[in-house]
Amino acid sequence: MLKVAIVGCGKIADSHAAQIQRIEGCEIVAVCDREMLMAKQLAERFSIERHFTDLNQLISEARPDVIHITTPAESHFDVARMCLDKGCHVYVEKPFTLYAAQAQILVDLAEEKGLKLTVGHNDQFSHVARRMRALVQSGYLGGPPVHMESYYVYDLGDPSYARALLGDQDHWVRRLPGKLLQNVISHGIAKIAEFLSGDAPQVIAHGFVSSLLQQINESEIVDELRVIIRDEKGATAYFTFSSQMRPQLHLLRLYGPKNGLEVDQDHDELIKLRGQKYKSYADKFIPPVQFARQHIGNWMTNIGLFLSRDFQGDAGIKYLTESFYNSIRHDTPVPIPYREILLTARIMDAIFEQLNSANAQRNSPAPTASVL
Amino acid sequence: MNAVGIPSANQDPADFTISADEPILITGAAGFIGARVVQSLLDRGFRNLICFARPSSDRSRLDSIIESRPAGTKIELIKGNLLSREKCEAACKDVALILHLAAGIGEKSYPDAFLNSVVATRNLLEASLKHARLRRFVLVSSFAVYSNCDKPHGRILDESCPIEPRPDLRGEAYCFAKVKQEEIVREYNKSHGIPYVMVRPGAVYGSGKGDITGRVGINTFGSFLHLGGSNTIPFTYVDNCADAIVLAGIVNGIDGEAFNVVDDDLPSSRQFLRLYKKNAKHFKSVYVPHAISYAFCVMWEKYSEWSQGQLTPVFNRKRWHADWKKTLYSNRKLKIRLGWTPKVSTAEGVRRYCEASRRNARNA
Repeated sequence: MLKVAIVGCGKIADSHAAQIQRIEGCEIVAVCDREMLMAKQLAERFSIERHFTDLNQLISEARPDVIHITTPAESHFDVARMCLDKGCHVYVEKPFTLYAAQAQILVDLAEEKGLKLTVGHNDQFSHVARRMRALVQSGYLGGPPVHMESYYVYDLGDPSYARALLGDQDHWVRRLPGKLLQNVISHGIAKIAEFLSGDAPQVIAHGFVSSLLQQINESEIVDELRVIIRDEKGATAYFTFSSQMRPQLHLLRLYGPKNGLEVDQDHDELIKLRGQKYKSYADKFIPPVQFARQHIGNWMTNIGLFLSRDFQGDAGIKYLTESFYNSIRHDTPVPIPYREILLTARIMDAIFEQLNSANAQRNSPAPTASVL
Repeated sequence: MNAVGIPSANQDPADFTISADEPILITGAAGFIGARVVQSLLDRGFRNLICFARPSSDRSRLDSIIESRPAGTKIELIKGNLLSREKCEAACKDVALILHLAAGIGEKSYPDAFLNSVVATRNLLEASLKHARLRRFVLVSSFAVYSNCDKPHGRILDESCPIEPRPDLRGEAYCFAKVKQEEIVREYNKSHGIPYVMVRPGAVYGSGKGDITGRVGINTFGSFLHLGGSNTIPFTYVDNCADAIVLAGIVNGIDGEAFNVVDDDLPSSRQFLRLYKKNAKHFKSVYVPHAISYAFCVMWEKYSEWSQGQLTPVFNRKRWHADWKKTLYSNRKLKIRLGWTPKVSTAEGVRRYCEASRRNARNA
């Protein structure tokens, strides 16, 4: 039985606790939060035996094998390092760390101690993302992706988070180097990083405060971001983050030398984008029917998943967690390669450096390029 | 004592818990009820108010009350978050009475609702201990805390009814947070002797209130499901509710008590919906008989459990009992112990509410 603990008892900890309790062969033995009341409420609701306000005490008394870190992002590095130092495997919620250098230190430490580490990029483990990965691995694209597009749209109108953030000048998100972006873009960036080659892609970022936020006198929170990425082998990607565009896409498109794929995270749809054209007017009549068939196929898959009780909103967290636990039990590779975690962190570093430097030079808004 | 054996309220200002010049802290002061509480305090001659409001809150109503305050009245506005202990300490300095209205309303996540209700309340209680001047802590709670099962007086829901024993299973973060918020106030009373009064309003309505209460029905999948039917809806007009909160803060001899707040002449859900459609906004609604809504809640609950949360348990038997079971409401204790009477009749309140909703719909 794998003994699990959760550190940080806010909103996302609920998702972790619920999904961990669906996994066979593990048990949440303790939770921890600096605020005793928060630790207690999580323990009570999920029938967890022990709760702590001190992580050291939790580790020494509950002796967990794995610790899930669901604290605010600014504490991820220190908490993860401490857990690794004490000999625990670690699952860190996104964003992994504030800086790539910190991510590197954690990865090195985990490897040195023979421990496993992962990050909460659970979007990459949803049903549709897994179907996409299987197709890519089967060679459907006809080779490595030539170009990718990743969209991540974030609704600032969501009352529970955005109101708290915009109304509170002391909100912890404002203290992050990338502010709001740091806390939300890693899902969209990681989807690209998975298919990039090399460790030093070129990154060009342009960010700005949307007119909507400007109207309410917000000048600090960048909520519109456009990024171009090019890896060492020439594969390129566009990343779009927006709070204003509609529909609220969470979408990845992969274009290979032969075919393409579209992964719609919102509707759990995977669409094959056929590279070959039909002759003449056949290209106007046949593909729409093929797309219709694919949409119906996705619909049937989703219905099947729902009927088989495997379509929870947080199914990605369960799959990622289960895969991570299996990698611990059997000492097999972790579900998210460390290279991908580090590359995501480096790309994010490059984006925030450029945004902060552009912010510092208000009179020169033109985007600049940097090579990592 | 009155004829029914409940001690009556003494409304003589000389017998109030605090005098007109002692500081009163109102949290959530810019909110829907909070601003009316401030107005009610001013109307009763209290001259030293500290209003606590979130920086992000819309303060237009409160600002206009502050601007038109009577001469010689001191109103301090503190903008901040009750999760900040420093802000709480600053706000609680020397206050004699706290009317605590701020809460995590509208939060769907349990931790968020808990944090903004329970942790915030604990911070206030701790801060008040440092200054040791507090004579009463009034917690504005909610009908949501009642289980509405095993009531001692049949269909009547009053202050003697049991509190929800498992609020975590109700599918409503608000209910969970409110039950826990009451618990922590009682704990601090027990451990530190902080005197308290609980005020539990029913469905507060009035100009500025957006959606129709879920006790009438819910808007889902493009149509309004009318679930209330012939049920009485425990409405209280916002001004009447504000008066009750103020009285709970100033009337002597009620420490440790809870008071339900509902108005007189309450309409049935059907009557209210008819009036609303006629006078505010017309829309299509589908009536769902109680037997069907109960069966639906049972099925949803069972499915949620069987599917390990594939559908979150937002509909369940506990919620059905709390929101859609045929229930009668009493304001007898409120009237007798606090001397409260509704200033605004239900007929007038519904008329004002519909008029405001119609105006808003036109401007939208």
